[in-house]
Amino acid sequence: MAFDSALLDAAFTALKAFDWGADAAAFKPIDEATIAAPGDAALRGDLEKRLTAVLGAGPSRAAKEYACRKLSMIGTAGAVPALAALLPDKDHSHMARFALERIGGPEAADALRRGLDGVAGDLRIGMISSLGARRDAASLPALTKLLAGDEKVAVAAAEALGMLATAEADAALAAAKLTDTKPSGAVAAAVVDARLACADAALAAGRRADARKIYESVGAAVGDAPKTHRDRAVRIAARRGLFATADETVASS
Amino acid sequence: MVPSVSDDHDRPATPSRGAVGATRRGFLKAAGGGAAATAVAAPYVITSTALGNATTPPASDRIVMGGIGIGNMGGGDQGAFLSRPDVQYVAVCDVRQKWREQGKDKADAKNGNKDCAAYVDFRELLARDDIDAVHIATPDHWHAIMTIAACRSGKDVYLQKPETLTLREGPLMVAAARRYGRVVSGGSQRVLGDYRPIVDPCWAGEVGTIRSVHVALGAPSQPCYLPAQPTPPDIDWDLWLGPAPWEPYNSGRCDGNFGTGGNSWRSYVDYSGGSLTDWGAHHLGGAIFAADLRELQPVKATFHPEKNVTLTYPNGVELHYNRPPGDVPAGHAKVSHSAITIIGDGRPREAKPVPEYRDGEGNIYGDFIACVKTRGRPFRDIELAANSMTAPHLIGISLRLERSLQWDRAAQQFVNDAEANRLCDRARREPWIL
Repeated sequence: MAFDSALLDAAFTALKAFDWGADAAAFKPIDEATIAAPGDAALRGDLEKRLTAVLGAGPSRAAKEYACRKLSMIGTAGAVPALAALLPDKDHSHMARFALERIGGPEAADALRRGLDGVAGDLRIGMISSLGARRDAASLPALTKLLAGDEKVAVAAAEALGMLATAEADAALAAAKLTDTKPSGAVAAAVVDARLACADAALAAGRRADARKIYESVGAAVGDAPKTHRDRAVRIAARRGLFATADETVASS
Repeated sequence: MVPSVSDDHDRPATPSRGAVGATRRGFLKAAGGGAAATAVAAPYVITSTALGNATTPPASDRIVMGGIGIGNMGGGDQGAFLSRPDVQYVAVCDVRQKWREQGKDKADAKNGNKDCAAYVDFRELLARDDIDAVHIATPDHWHAIMTIAACRSGKDVYLQKPETLTLREGPLMVAAARRYGRVVSGGSQRVLGDYRPIVDPCWAGEVGTIRSVHVALGAPSQPCYLPAQPTPPDIDWDLWLGPAPWEPYNSGRCDGNFGTGGNSWRSYVDYSGGSLTDWGAHHLGGAIFAADLRELQPVKATFHPEKNVTLTYPNGVELHYNRPPGDVPAGHAKVSHSAITIIGDGRPREAKPVPEYRDGEGNIYGDFIACVKTRGRPFRDIELAANSMTAPHLIGISLRLERSLQWDRAAQQFVNDAEANRLCDRARREPWIL
């Protein structure tokens, strides 16, 4: 299907002036082009260029959000610089990640990783979560470093390492020198949850011995007489894992 | 894979604390003399409700519950749990003041005191160690985060349907439930309750081997461009949005009525899958149950030019979204009820017993509570719910991309389809992480 350039021109003119409450029917050509774009390289390139132009100064938050949603479906490495520029902006960071989290390739992950240094607090947590959702192994050093910092950021870093769920991620979690060392602390709890995710992933991958070590470590930390719902749940997780890994251990002993 | 062991070896098969059979009441009875009795006897006051009576178990044998999201549906769930003598309802949580206050008032009236806590932030409710279980009836975009947090906190969960908003959420919720040994029940009371006219003959083998299932269902949700309105002081708008993209307050955006036509959150893509998942949880869930497909996920979604979809299951059964059956082949059998038609080859098969709720009373709430006590898997266990919800999600993505798809259940991804895989999940607004 050939797309009428004039119709797209009109739709983008409407988009640049758009704000919440206005009629979005004018965007129909963009919606249709987005569906067709994956099968048409020229259309995709044109659409991406037009959408990234909306991310610059001028268009409203609503317009940028719309553009980010479309770029999340058809954006490529070409869209990354414009999206990355929005990461430090509290009004646009999430929707920039909405696109970057879905765009394949190292450029998007690099942008999120580089963006970590330029932000703090919730924006940093957002970027950490997107790197975790992408299972970005190259982020391991950066995430490991963040385990030692601000509590909420450290919790997010632990969660992201749990999403990576690799042996290296677990090693980082196990070795972390946490500033919050109380067993009931939020960071310590997040590390436990992440390590259990790493253990379950190791078990699923057939790395039973690795998994068993983690279950043993987590189980030992919570002890034999857990007193809280949370500690009992962790103990259950550890015991289930030990039960699942028991066969190989018995066979090899 | 960690085995699916349903017994919670750390939890006795009754809700009492500590060792099996040891209840607060039992301890008090045993402390009949000596120092222990002295330490217990004064100034300890034992209320009649704590000890229980002929119709109400003692407090130590009741399941302590709280509710998150106490609006239209959540209020109904709360009422159901409040009416149970084996539940002690102690806390409500809602970002809207009117629901919070209403929920607290209902619980206080039932309990005969003013003790029900009322929270704005669900994390405070989940941090309470006295709470055994929660029911969740927030908009869909919160379901996965809250359920996983509850599991990690050691709480069992009754979760309203539709249980998932994206494909990625189901496996994560199942993993959390299994990992921490939690009972997590989905909340479609209609799946078992509403479709018996087709469930019974299908499970009785009267239809023969099922070949096709046809479900009539509404449309997916749409983007929301409603204009900004002043945010009322009685709603925590930032927390209502939670992981969803920030957009300005508008009453039509967040109203919890059951509509999907543009005047409630069920209409909009950031919070719901629309009628496709909202009624899909019921109708597709009922169809999937009747056809005994709950353990399976589709392998293919075929998009038709009429803008409807056929899902194909690994056993060859086709589930058609908005494609009426047409003429039934000779010798085949057809059963219809509500929005569902099922066609089988008509050759009688051996009957299988229909799975039922475990409470023996035909009540999904009772089923959940029975499973909390016995650590069994509920009728709409989260894994079965997640499998069922795969159907409307695949339909929705097929409709959105206007083409056919192939689904790999083991990998939880579309096959060689980077574009479709982008739609398996969405980035959550900071600071929320799934």
